[in-house]
Amino acid sequence: MTDLPALVIVFPIFASIAVLLVGLVRPRTGWPIATLASIVQIAITGSLALRGFNGDPVQYVVGGFTVPYGIELVIDGLSATMIVLVAVVALGVLGYARTAGPRSNSFYATYLLLVAGLTGMSITGDVFNMYVFLEITGLTAYALVASGKGGRSALAALKYLLVGTFGASLFLLGIGYAYVATGTLNMADLSGQLAAVGYTSSLVQAAFGLLVVGLFVKIAVFPLHTWQPVAYAGAPDAVSGLISALVSTVSAYALIRIVFSVFTVDFLLANPFARTVLMAGAVVSIVTGSLLAVAQSEIKQLLAYSSVSQFGLIIGAIAVGNDTALTGAAIHLVGHAIMKGGLFLTAGLIGTNAGSRTVTEFEGLGKHLPIGAGSFGIIALAMVGVPPTIGFVGKWYIALGAVETQSWPLAAVILLSTLLTLAYFARLIERMYFREPAVTTSSVETTDATDAVNVATDGTGTTPSMGMWMTVVTAAVLSVVLGVVAFEYGQLLEPTIEHLLS
Amino acid sequence: MTDVTSLRPIAAVLVSAIAVVLILASHRRPDLRESWTLLAAGTKLGIVGSMVPGVLSGQVYVTDIGTFVPGVRFALRADALGVLFALLASLLWLVTSFYSIGYMRGLDEHAQTRYFAAFAASLSSTIGIAFAANLIVLYVFYELLTVATYPLVAHDGTEEARAAGRKYLAYTFGGGVAVLAGTVLVFWLTGTTAFTPGGIAGLATADPVFGRAAFALLAAGFGVKAALMPLHSWLPDAMVAPTPVSGLLHAVAVVKSGVFGVARVVLDVFGPDLVGDLGVGLPLATVAAITLTIASIIALRQDNLKRRLAFSTVSQLSYIVLGLAVLGPYALVGGLLHIPAHAFMKLTLFFCAGAVHVETHTDDISNMAGIGKRMPLTMTAFGVASLGMAGIPLVAGFVSKYYLLIGTVSTGHILFTGALLLSGILNIAYFWPVVYTAFFESPERDDPKPVVENVLGGRYADGEAVTDGGHAPDDTDDTAGEKDDHGYAPDHGGQGPRDRQETQANLHPDHGPDGKLAWEHRGWGGEESTWFMLGPILFAAAGSIVLGIVPDAAVFLRIVRLVVTSATGVSV
Repeated sequence: MTDLPALVIVFPIFASIAVLLVGLVRPRTGWPIATLASIVQIAITGSLALRGFNGDPVQYVVGGFTVPYGIELVIDGLSATMIVLVAVVALGVLGYARTAGPRSNSFYATYLLLVAGLTGMSITGDVFNMYVFLEITGLTAYALVASGKGGRSALAALKYLLVGTFGASLFLLGIGYAYVATGTLNMADLSGQLAAVGYTSSLVQAAFGLLVVGLFVKIAVFPLHTWQPVAYAGAPDAVSGLISALVSTVSAYALIRIVFSVFTVDFLLANPFARTVLMAGAVVSIVTGSLLAVAQSEIKQLLAYSSVSQFGLIIGAIAVGNDTALTGAAIHLVGHAIMKGGLFLTAGLIGTNAGSRTVTEFEGLGKHLPIGAGSFGIIALAMVGVPPTIGFVGKWYIALGAVETQSWPLAAVILLSTLLTLAYFARLIERMYFREPAVTTSSVETTDATDAVNVATDGTGTTPSMGMWMTVVTAAVLSVVLGVVAFEYGQLLEPTIEHLLS
Repeated sequence: MTDVTSLRPIAAVLVSAIAVVLILASHRRPDLRESWTLLAAGTKLGIVGSMVPGVLSGQVYVTDIGTFVPGVRFALRADALGVLFALLASLLWLVTSFYSIGYMRGLDEHAQTRYFAAFAASLSSTIGIAFAANLIVLYVFYELLTVATYPLVAHDGTEEARAAGRKYLAYTFGGGVAVLAGTVLVFWLTGTTAFTPGGIAGLATADPVFGRAAFALLAAGFGVKAALMPLHSWLPDAMVAPTPVSGLLHAVAVVKSGVFGVARVVLDVFGPDLVGDLGVGLPLATVAAITLTIASIIALRQDNLKRRLAFSTVSQLSYIVLGLAVLGPYALVGGLLHIPAHAFMKLTLFFCAGAVHVETHTDDISNMAGIGKRMPLTMTAFGVASLGMAGIPLVAGFVSKYYLLIGTVSTGHILFTGALLLSGILNIAYFWPVVYTAFFESPERDDPKPVVENVLGGRYADGEAVTDGGHAPDDTDDTAGEKDDHGYAPDHGGQGPRDRQETQANLHPDHGPDGKLAWEHRGWGGEESTWFMLGPILFAAAGSIVLGIVPDAAVFLRIVRLVVTSATGVSV
């Protein structure tokens, strides 16, 4: 199976087409096909990951061209992590989406295309190819956000489209500059050529700046985050679960690739300013994201701003750029994907079942919806970084990395981010367990109104299905259990990180 | 010292964690639910107790689960210091469990399942703290303890309880951040965080600036739960919790876990020698001395009994920290011995306050005149424990304070000796009025209490006089009607008219001579309350007397001697 690396991208695309075509004949086949495809995708990515983690990176050149000209696919520990994560989360969200909707075949087709785009971004070894997958990811994500039935979804998708395209254009410009400087697009080749051109050349610096800022938009680093709260809050629940878990995550992965595989650590050493910018982005994102999250009244918006803050940690790890911090970044990328995806889905479940979509409506949930509230509480505590959950382990690595390089301000902010995260989650936990719902006539009316809106946007007003419960509880369990196995994962990742930093 | 691989440390942690599941599962059957609590408490005490003889003969029981993060094992070690804390916590949990049942049922509280589950989870974390083999594992359980105790603080769900809960989370998680930061520094400097008697070797050679920073962060982080001033203000507010929680957690488990953390840092992370060389012991001791004095003075002016006890706790905890920070062997013995001594005495006091609350709903000291007639056993136990708090001989507090005084004198810190003596006098000054008013006054004949009643300094006489005569009980919080206040008052003035009204309900002219208002007389045979509450009160009071009369026979002093000997090399 030497063509497996290509297959892992192509398979979801074919599956997507299959959903569309079979759907013409038998309309209700979208979900089974998509689920089957996701299971097969997990098998493919799993076998690839086994190879990626064992020894040298798997390299594959598409179409038999030679390396600097042909498109190369590279699977090392980090990209293997990403493709497995994408496949697993995709399956989990499908389990949720079966009842929660949206259910049209075009939704499932787009869904699988998004999986293909994200997988492609993860394993490509070519910067232009990465742009292509970035656009595939972006366009499908816009479409998915728009699949909600209200005007709000459409508006959110439009904003996402405008801002996202802007980011992608910057990324493309950056590639252009790098190409002008070196005449190559292959990542491995680029890193050598860029060194030859000289890291202080303004062309190279400009390329770095544009690529990084472009990806900042995609990751939603403050102040380039404006699309994110709107998109996450406007999208149907299942979609916000999926894109919050994966899209920014894979973009952050892409940033690690660009910074360390293409420009390398030596570039950061030669340009202290670049590191300063990354560090400033991290600090500002962590602090501002949290503060904005505290100010939100809608749960999904709150969670979106929480993402802005959490990705600040990842950017911080990239700015630190030693092996400890990057291991932490990888762990936190996976951990955050599980936790944030889980939180969005739990919030969706609570919204579907109890009609609670704002902070005040969370009052007294502990009694009415013990499992939903319990899952939300556990994942929220994991997000805060209560040990021994995955949220703590990632934070420990990143903070330790920051201390090792003696980046004291960053280390302080990373540690204090615990309190910032607590500030917005404690509010919800308190309301769920220690407040009775306010039973005034007006609030009942608004709850009914929101219910009506929910029915309109989701196409469902039904009680949560088994699949929804399973997904949510699994996410809660994973966010605790992964913390225990994170060390082994860090060990597995060691050769990859060493290679990345050499 | 020999390490013995054993599952007992992890079993001691897990037994109440399993109980949490069982308690939640049997929420429909209260009797079964409570039996799980008692069973778990008994088993936990048995497991911890079974390790005591081995530990006294120099063994250390170790459970090693695996690597948690690089360079750090997730391991539990039951050494002498750990067993000291674990034995204390598990013994008093068993006692408190009986009391909790009496208290919660006596008040017909809501959400009892959550209460007992969170209590069991708290004890699980506490034992984890006691047996943690390194700073990371200690941090893990330290944070889990915060999470597990939060539902207990916010138990009532009233605005005050929620505010106290928020404050509690903010303070303790803030402390947790400082602990984590200190831990990261220690790990970065030495590549390990494992507790080593006498200190981690690598720290002595590390940059003293970072060494001091790490010590400051760790001491401040643990200082939050140890209620060192100015980080203490969560503790009086947390008194809004049900009284068993105030008793076991906020006088024993939670606050002692902070003190215990300081002890680990001083004895097993830095080592007494290095703490002295870095010159960080003296500042910590100074903070402790200031805290114990100021908290005693504040306690004088608290009319609400639980608040007075809370400030007394703040003060007494600093005795322990002072003993640890002075670093002399005798001071260390005194400080460590004060952990169990204070636990027994303060638990007695809180149990008494809770019993008075359940029986009579009287919470302000100014309304307790003559209450000794209504609750003779309870108030006698209160008197015994408060004598011990003041350091009167034959009660537990004397022994530990004696060591503390010798320790501070022998290391030449006469100022600290003075602070301890002054605080001892203040202890009498704030505890004696309670005993006096209970036994030697009556509702119609009680002396004015100028310290409590008058405005501090007299100048800020804003006066709390309100034209409508203050708030009546029925116009407070809308939930106040159905929820109990657990004897909590938001400020030092106590609950005011509301408490007076609740006291009046208990007073009747028939009870007193010549038709005067008086408390009903109850005999000394236990008619004043249920044995679910009286038993624990008498047990804890008896414990504090045993510790005071035959300290060597009670196992705690032997463990403390062992700890100090292995940490300093000096036999005491």
